[in-house]
Amino acid sequence: MHEFSLAIEVINLAQREAEKNMAGSIQEITIEVGDLSGVEADAFESALELLVKDSILENADINIVRTPGKGKCNACNLEFEMKYRMATCPQCQCFPSEISGGEEFRVVSLVVE
Amino acid sequence: MCETCGCGDTNELKIHDRQHSHDHEHDHEHSHDHNHDHNHDHSHTHTHDSVLFTHTHDHGAKKVISLNVDILSDNNRLAQINRKSFEERNVLSLNLVSSPGSGKTTILEKTIKAIIANRKIFVIEGDQQTLLDADRIEKSGAPAIQINTGSGCHLDARMVETAFKKLDVEPNSILFIENVGNLVCPALFDLGEFKRVVVISVTEGEDKPLKYPYMFKSSHLCIINKSDLLPYVDFDVDKTMEYARSLNPNLEFILLSARTGEGMEMWYEWLGKQK
Repeated sequence: MHEFSLAIEVINLAQREAEKNMAGSIQEITIEVGDLSGVEADAFESALELLVKDSILENADINIVRTPGKGKCNACNLEFEMKYRMATCPQCQCFPSEISGGEEFRVVSLVVE
Repeated sequence: MCETCGCGDTNELKIHDRQHSHDHEHDHEHSHDHNHDHNHDHSHTHTHDSVLFTHTHDHGAKKVISLNVDILSDNNRLAQINRKSFEERNVLSLNLVSSPGSGKTTILEKTIKAIIANRKIFVIEGDQQTLLDADRIEKSGAPAIQINTGSGCHLDARMVETAFKKLDVEPNSILFIENVGNLVCPALFDLGEFKRVVVISVTEGEDKPLKYPYMFKSSHLCIINKSDLLPYVDFDVDKTMEYARSLNPNLEFILLSARTGEGMEMWYEWLGKQK
């Protein structure tokens, strides 16, 4: 359940950014969670919901954007959506493929006031 | 306590499940004053399926701060500081990861006894509870410090930074960081180690690399322990290596038995080669 630690990281990061920008409150935060990031988006969302109390994000609207995994087959160069890290190429059934997207785990933006 | 959503009391709703309705009322307030033009029951958090989703917000006097900051950046920054501290002291730092019971502590006990005469060894032990592993290590002859993560499932760079200072690690020594037994969470947390060593044992399945790809992808060496039990189990060493290499072509392997000592020399040689 590293999602709890990660949720704490997000709250700390938001707090630092709010202070840096002399913001009184954070209205909205957008977080990108790639399907191949190693972070379970649902668990992360639950952790964040539980932990925001009494934090700068308590009243913020939290948008979690999921980015699909993308792979490029090492054998036939097909680019395809990778639902999981061990996915084989849908065209030639080869493995492994190079991951070209979906490993993101980042705070995209904040809306502050 | 609400059994459906897990909230503590009726004044403190923390989870809003969009998939079910409650048959009781909670008092809660939201202070959102911007307008969404998408239609769903409003909830504190929400998930979109695609990054292409766009909001239309009336931000008024509000300020949008574009960040694109990796959430693990704080841990990564601290890990870099640790890495520099280790390098400045010429300390060989190794992060040992595995599932519980693969034999990490036994490998360390045997290693300490075998090479402590030639090189100082220090150990940071991570477990949820107890001082048992640190006690075992100290009996083997190396100073150890135990980090109890409580309910936590991994060590992070800050814990290691603190432990490293307390342990007063001598220059030119080896620092083993024995992570919490868990093949999932520790994979994401850089501790500042020089190399990551993943340990599996032959009593586990050969498909472990496929099941826990993040850990095998991020490791440098894979120790396959308990080789003395190979005649009694169906574990296929070649298959394990093939699966692991499909994820990480540069991964090195050592097959050994900490119990009988078979293969341990290869491990000591590997340690000697790390600069």
